[in-house]
Amino acid sequence: MVNQGPIAEFAMSQPVSSAPVVQTQSLAKTFHVDGKSVVALESVDLTINPGEFISFVGPSGCGKSTLLNMIAGLLPKTSGQVLIHGQPVAEPSKRVGFMFQAPVLLPWRTVENNVLMPAEVFGLKVNDIRDKARAVLKTVGLGDFINAYPRQLSGGMQQRVALARVLTYEPEVLLMDEPFGALDEFTREAMNLELLRITRAANITVLFVTHNITEAVFMSDRVVVMTPRPGKVSGIIDVPLPRPREIELMHQPMFTDLTFQVRSILGGTHGGH
Amino acid sequence: MAVTDTIDAASVVPRTEAQIQRRYRLISVAITVVILGLWEIVPALGLVNPIILPQFSKVVWALGTLVIQDFFLQHFTVTLTEILLGFVLGTAIGLALGIALAVWPAVKQVTYPFVVGFQAIPKIVFAPLFIAWFGFDQTSKVVMAIVIAFFPVLINTMVGLESVPQDAKKLMRSLRATPLQTFWKVSLPHALPIIFAGVKAALTFAVIGAIVGEFVGASEGLGYLLDLYNNQLQIDRVFAVIVVLAAIGALGYFLLEWLDRKLIFWREDENR
Ligand SMILES: Nc1ncnc2c1ncn2[C@@H]1O[C@H](COP(=O)(O)OP(=O)(O)OP(=O)(O)O)[C@@H](O)[C@H]1O
Ligand SMILES: [Mg+2]
Repeated sequence: MVNQGPIAEFAMSQPVSSAPVVQTQSLAKTFHVDGKSVVALESVDLTINPGEFISFVGPSGCGKSTLLNMIAGLLPKTSGQVLIHGQPVAEPSKRVGFMFQAPVLLPWRTVENNVLMPAEVFGLKVNDIRDKARAVLKTVGLGDFINAYPRQLSGGMQQRVALARVLTYEPEVLLMDEPFGALDEFTREAMNLELLRITRAANITVLFVTHNITEAVFMSDRVVVMTPRPGKVSGIIDVPLPRPREIELMHQPMFTDLTFQVRSILGGTHGGH
Repeated sequence: MAVTDTIDAASVVPRTEAQIQRRYRLISVAITVVILGLWEIVPALGLVNPIILPQFSKVVWALGTLVIQDFFLQHFTVTLTEILLGFVLGTAIGLALGIALAVWPAVKQVTYPFVVGFQAIPKIVFAPLFIAWFGFDQTSKVVMAIVIAFFPVLINTMVGLESVPQDAKKLMRSLRATPLQTFWKVSLPHALPIIFAGVKAALTFAVIGAIVGEFVGASEGLGYLLDLYNNQLQIDRVFAVIVVLAAIGALGYFLLEWLDRKLIFWREDENR
């Protein structure tokens, strides 16, 4: 078993409240390209509570990335509101971590220095963060690789570095846009379990975009199903399965039932596996 | 014996990388020996007039007697200074302009047509002009070297900085990095391998610029000597000066190559 000390520790320091962490109100986005306008998102209302694990599924191009980018403050909205702890989001915040499909590591920095890079940007003393960074790297199973360079790591290991990089700064909300989509099935499953273990222990709110229905149900407290473009919420499925979740859960009738529900809202046109 | 490549059907006959390298080196040496041998024999047999092509041994002799003389060292120093100043200043100017063009889109919009137009001119046409403007001595040659050398650095710096992946920029934005932080931590290191290729080209171009400047009008320098010996039909000495110039270029290139490997240690080499 890997050490989960530091993560569990800072879970205690998270503010315990039941007020929503993330809210979107009539959130919409229209892109304008070459005089044409593309409605990517049409009025999305969501209320997400602290510590929830929320997955987003929907056909390609329905606006999942757009939604996440707006919640992160990386993309200006056309209309509506994004609120984090009741405050309107205007720009990216330290409390909200973002993880991409690609690890986006800097090849000239060691694993440890990649994890420490945000500290430099935040103007923190790197030496104050170093112990924390090493502890998190250990938690994600990279304790022996702190001095390796990205090119010496496998794809899955690189994505673990990206995870450590975002977790080191103790975000309250973690936005993940198909974070393990580029990995093979086996690695992805292992990464998912690890992500669950870490974020559940630290009570981090996770917004997780995926193309995989089984994965969405397995990970989440709720699954948000979106319509084809222009994207809207077409249904939200509650997943009342107990935690911690084990792979065996997938064989239970209730699990199968839930994946079927998600699939039927999607219209049965969208492949999971 | 380690055979790394077992998939390739062509490697049925097991042969190590080192063996292949040794074979290639042997072939290079053999070709060199043949060429030098012909160079020695053909003029000696009278197949070519020795005034046009002196024997190789004559060139070696000329080189040996030239390089030990004080006046030669002076000419050598003059040209080397021109090359180095032209290279360093050209690289600095190219870097500065390349960064400005990449960082401020407005600057690029306004100046890029001029930059391209300037590049379309064969810079050699400026050589007489520079002599009129900056005089007969070293300054006009340094300016010539700069004018030829800065362009590859400019273009490569601009292209390198503009090729930073969107994801990396997005990561920095999600951290609320300032433009300066993004530049130093992401853009510049990312562009460095591309910039360095431009810097290597700049060295070669600086050599050309200095010599061309001296050809057009000078009273000292290796280009001046080259012209002088050519007019005096001392062709063995002409070749000797060419060898010295080639040595300057090669040495500089290898130094840059070494620096490149040190500086850009993360480069994903095919042969690693
Ligand atoms: N920068 C942009 N400019 C113009 N249109 C865009 C831009 N980004 C996204 N779009 C459009 O908005 C729509 C939603 O895109 P988005 O990337 O959010 O979809 P997605 O649900 O993440 O798709 P996928 O599952 O394939 O990642 C698409 O039709 C896309 O063409
Ligand atoms: Mg997407």
